[in-house]
Amino acid sequence: MKTTVRDFLRERGLGGGGTPAMLAGRASFAYVFGTVLVFLLVVEAVSGIALAAFYAPSSTDAWGSVAYVQDQVTLGWLVRGVHFHAASAMVIVAGLHLVQTALYGAYKKPRELVWWLGILLMMLILAWAVTGYVLRWDQAGYWANKVEVGIAAATPVVGGVIRKLALGGNDYGNLTLTRFYALHVLILPAVVGALTAGHVMLARKLGPTPLGDRERTPRPRWPDQTLRNAIAIAMVLTVLVVYVVAVRGVELAAPADPSQAYDARPLWYFRWLFELRDLSGRAEKVVALVMPAIVAGALVALPLADRAPTREPRARVAYLGALAGLLAVIGGLTVASFAGDARDKQLAKRNTQAEQRAQLARKLARLNGVPASGAADVFLTAPMARARAVFATRCKSCHDAESMDRKGPMLGAGHFNRSWIRAFLKNPSGEPFWGRTKLAKSDAAMKSFAQMPAAELDGIVELIYSESGATDVDADKRKRGLDVFETACSDCHAREDGMPGTSAPGLSGVGSRAYYLSFISNPKSAFHMGKDKSEMPRFDKEISLADRDALAEYLVWLRGATPPDLAALDQ
Amino acid sequence: MADEDRRRFLKVATCAIGGGVGLAVAGPVLTLLADPAGKTTVTTPTTPLDLGPAEQFRAGAEPHRVDVVAPIIKDGWTAARDVVLGAAWVRRTAPDKLVALSAVCPHLGCAIGWDAIAGNFLCPCHDSRFSVAGEKLNGPSERGMDELPLEVRDGRLLLTWVRYKTGQSRREPG
Repeated sequence: MKTTVRDFLRERGLGGGGTPAMLAGRASFAYVFGTVLVFLLVVEAVSGIALAAFYAPSSTDAWGSVAYVQDQVTLGWLVRGVHFHAASAMVIVAGLHLVQTALYGAYKKPRELVWWLGILLMMLILAWAVTGYVLRWDQAGYWANKVEVGIAAATPVVGGVIRKLALGGNDYGNLTLTRFYALHVLILPAVVGALTAGHVMLARKLGPTPLGDRERTPRPRWPDQTLRNAIAIAMVLTVLVVYVVAVRGVELAAPADPSQAYDARPLWYFRWLFELRDLSGRAEKVVALVMPAIVAGALVALPLADRAPTREPRARVAYLGALAGLLAVIGGLTVASFAGDARDKQLAKRNTQAEQRAQLARKLARLNGVPASGAADVFLTAPMARARAVFATRCKSCHDAESMDRKGPMLGAGHFNRSWIRAFLKNPSGEPFWGRTKLAKSDAAMKSFAQMPAAELDGIVELIYSESGATDVDADKRKRGLDVFETACSDCHAREDGMPGTSAPGLSGVGSRAYYLSFISNPKSAFHMGKDKSEMPRFDKEISLADRDALAEYLVWLRGATPPDLAALDQ
Repeated sequence: MADEDRRRFLKVATCAIGGGVGLAVAGPVLTLLADPAGKTTVTTPTTPLDLGPAEQFRAGAEPHRVDVVAPIIKDGWTAARDVVLGAAWVRRTAPDKLVALSAVCPHLGCAIGWDAIAGNFLCPCHDSRFSVAGEKLNGPSERGMDELPLEVRDGRLLLTWVRYKTGQSRREPG
């Protein structure tokens, strides 16, 4: 006698033994959506477990761990992409499931509970997506979450408490992530899993609802319907994977940074609310809170309103029409939101910049790792990042070539190399040099040496250049320069260590790191410009010594840099 | 009979599709989970680390515990600075000779301490004892304490950190 595994299990109370699941009427592709949704839940669970094995829910580590999976783990980008886009697939299939159920009148007695559980599940799945989006702790997830929590915080009476509970305290931080993580990987899976089990069990027990009111012969589900389910699942998985590969997974923006503005957009399935909020002006928060409640309320009310026993679609045109209208409005608002963004050229530009920043952050994370101090500091691992950050905030407006209100000499690639010095000597009050300063228009302005014979000019250029500490100095030319300096320059300038000139700055060490540090610290010192000639403020109290020194190092680096070198620092 | 054949075909087709789908989902996920197993996810510097001035260790003194600190390591996605990798017991055995023993117990990797009363090393986890020179005295450890490469350059003690495999009598880097 053959004892199969199935018999073994059945004797021990496991496995099917009762009556087989039956369908009223023929198997149909109309019944596949629920099974596909269960499959997508499994995909989310399995890919989520794999991602959880890499993820660190802390505000310093979260972005780094996601970037690591995305860029450094074999197939990490694929699994992460599938996890993200399967959620979108779930929303789409849930929508189809809902439409099919409504069209077939499957929400009617005795299936109201199945319908209501389904509505609840759909809302929970949307909430699940919200809790997942923030976990990556990039600009996109961080700012979208700020908006979402902000809307929830507008709830009358309990809004403040909701916010504090969601954030785990007063502001965004480690506890925000640990909470959303716990919600995302423990609480919501348990709740959705249990409700799904109830939904499926009830649906199985009651069986699918055929279209129309005609009586049909019951037929077993297996294998006719099961095969259709399997085909649908295979198709959905194929489309999902092909899509994920085609779009190269899912994006990862730059690390969350409260100081960096970002055009936050919600996930696409909330875009209709985003648009609606936009259209409602000052009532935006109320609309964002009330509209989802109205939509959910309408869906919950459907089986209570449409209580006639008939399931013929033609007899329910009013209800189906209302549902179609609702979906059309949601679809229209979604399209309007995306279309509005597509028309916005400024937005496109900002998005391109944000994308460049994201790519730079990911490249630096790949090459240098993320500093233990936090993912946003990954930018500081770039060469001269600290100096450039200080430069951007403290120096750029007066010294950058592209600045609208430049007041001083341009500082850019090639600053204080030989050709820069030569150009300066030929026209010190020229536009790139002192041209924008008051000094250039005063009697104290330095005169032009454009008429100086080429050999002498070469010498003086080499002499000045040698003060910077550059190692490629031509000794002969410099020697010639020493003589020229005595006749042409020493009336005003001095070359001795630490000595100011009689009427102009001392030049010992000019262009060296120590010189720049001293100049930035106090350009008005007697050695440099003196207190009347310079409009530049002293920075020794405003910028830390380390930052000033970093700036000095950066200025020295600029001497040997070309514009492409400079641009490469940002890529 | 034709219906019987049809049903058999449908069953086989269903199982085949189901199996394919299962493999398609499991494959990438297992690849992901297995990925770190083949990688150096935590880098340890292979160059010598500065443990401070060599003159602090005097001949005849008890072994001295020194933290081995790496200036920078990569740990998964993080680049961390000043990370304590472990500890070494350093002793001057002769006026011009210093010896460093790894504080990692060769048995199962616990941290070995100095028992000042008994005058030998003791691993608190499973009571392995080692002589002041690091030889195995008793307890479950399979071998004596591991000596670490050490040199003195410009008066500074430079130690190369090596983590040896535990639980075996042969000494091999792990």
